[in-house]
Amino acid sequence: MNSGAPDTLVLDDLTVSRGIGPVISHVSLAVAPGSITAVVGPNGAGKTSLLESISGVIQARSGTATFGGADITRLSRRKRAKLGIVHVEQGRAIFPSLTVRENLQVASRDRATIDRTLEYFPELEKRLDAPTALLSGGEQQMVVLARAFAARPKVLLIDEMSLGLAPVVFLRLLPVVQEFAATGVGVLLVEQFAQLALGISSDALVITSGHVTYSGAAARLLDEPETLRKAYLG
Amino acid sequence: MLQGALAGLAAGGVYAVVAVCLTLMAQLVKVINFSQAAIGMFGAFIAVTFADAHVPQWLAVMLGILCGVVLSGVIGWIIATWLPEASISARSAVTVASLLLLISMSYILFGTKPKTFRAVFPGPAFEVGGVVVSQVTVVMVVLAVAVAIAAKIVLSKTGVGTSLRAIADRPVAAELMGVPVKPFAIGVWLVTGLIVAVAIAIVAPTQTSDAASLSLLVIPASAAALLGGFRRLDLAVIGGLALGMIQGATAQFPELSLVRDWIPLVLIVVFLLWNQRKEVWDAAR
Repeated sequence: MNSGAPDTLVLDDLTVSRGIGPVISHVSLAVAPGSITAVVGPNGAGKTSLLESISGVIQARSGTATFGGADITRLSRRKRAKLGIVHVEQGRAIFPSLTVRENLQVASRDRATIDRTLEYFPELEKRLDAPTALLSGGEQQMVVLARAFAARPKVLLIDEMSLGLAPVVFLRLLPVVQEFAATGVGVLLVEQFAQLALGISSDALVITSGHVTYSGAAARLLDEPETLRKAYLG
Repeated sequence: MLQGALAGLAAGGVYAVVAVCLTLMAQLVKVINFSQAAIGMFGAFIAVTFADAHVPQWLAVMLGILCGVVLSGVIGWIIATWLPEASISARSAVTVASLLLLISMSYILFGTKPKTFRAVFPGPAFEVGGVVVSQVTVVMVVLAVAVAIAAKIVLSKTGVGTSLRAIADRPVAAELMGVPVKPFAIGVWLVTGLIVAVAIAIVAPTQTSDAASLSLLVIPASAAALLGGFRRLDLAVIGGLALGMIQGATAQFPELSLVRDWIPLVLIVVFLLWNQRKEVWDAAR
């Protein structure tokens, strides 16, 4: 694992605790620029906690997280965001009292950046001045993704993008993430729809009961359903 | 009666200013700041102490206001550092403790007797139908309206305002987008501390000038903020001014003097009951 490669996120033996004990233990992985790594596993496996420890919502108990070779394990959330680690939280974390335009302006005041971002989501252009709380669930998820894109991330952490969305909307958003990753952004994609997530990913991590049960090529899990099943069962 | 109502407008102005600050704090940093007026009181007492020590009055007032700003910033820093994701109840409990601490400290440092404040704006401003309107009244009403309008403009038209509203909606999500949540929260405490310290420095000479009375200006201000549901600045201003005028008018009738101090509390109960009117039984309990 080349922890010093520019804009590469590397986790080394990371353990995260919550309340009474560890929720995820000894995770090691690397997310290179332009790659998508799918993180799949049963509910309660610790996938969300893993993303939260990377963005700083919760602190890792042990192990290290580095970005471009620099240790970020103890940095504040804001400093990690400033480095380019952007976290799309679970559950459509819009700013409901703000308009769509204002939601994007929280990430960037640069008009060109916002215009570029809106090219991924042309549906939002006519809703720019609408209060975000009044949008549909799919549109709200687009706002959240657009806001993350406008922040010009180097690594994008996406947590359960499909939650509460119609499958057709989720299928609309997946290629957008793939297209955005192709611009050189590393993506760590936590998703319940394993097959769909693996379909756009180069690498995969299966987490079961807080432990990594598979780490390797995403294509292998797609080609070998038995390997995926075994990994899910731990 | 008109004379009384206009006389009450100065108090109404300070209720309105404190109500606007209470509303801003409830909206932006999720706290009902019960120590809001006590911070201003402490600053005013510091100013009197300096003035009594022959410091020029303008400098004494400035030092008092500075003290209020610093106090507010310290309380804000404590809450932003140790209770960043606590509930509004837990944060507000800290401000109740701060209120009691500031009153106690003022008794220890400045004694229990009321202070004599020198007027920052002495004398009348103009007359309306034979009724004199003081300079303090005019300044307080203008200050209340100006603060509400300025807050509205900053929040709706500036990048800082957008970030503050984002923090109010989802502080964690805002921080994950790189918004400096803690400095902004402390900034809100500093600015509201400044506004209230200025307001109380101006109005203190016209009020009962002991520590508890000045600190408990937060009660009528809370009634005014409740009129706007701790959300609307315009209703907070209107509520504050109206409450001051009602209290001033009732002061004209000796038989109502006992009722006068109960008016804010009665209004608080009425507003709370009104806000609950659409609650179903299970949710309201």
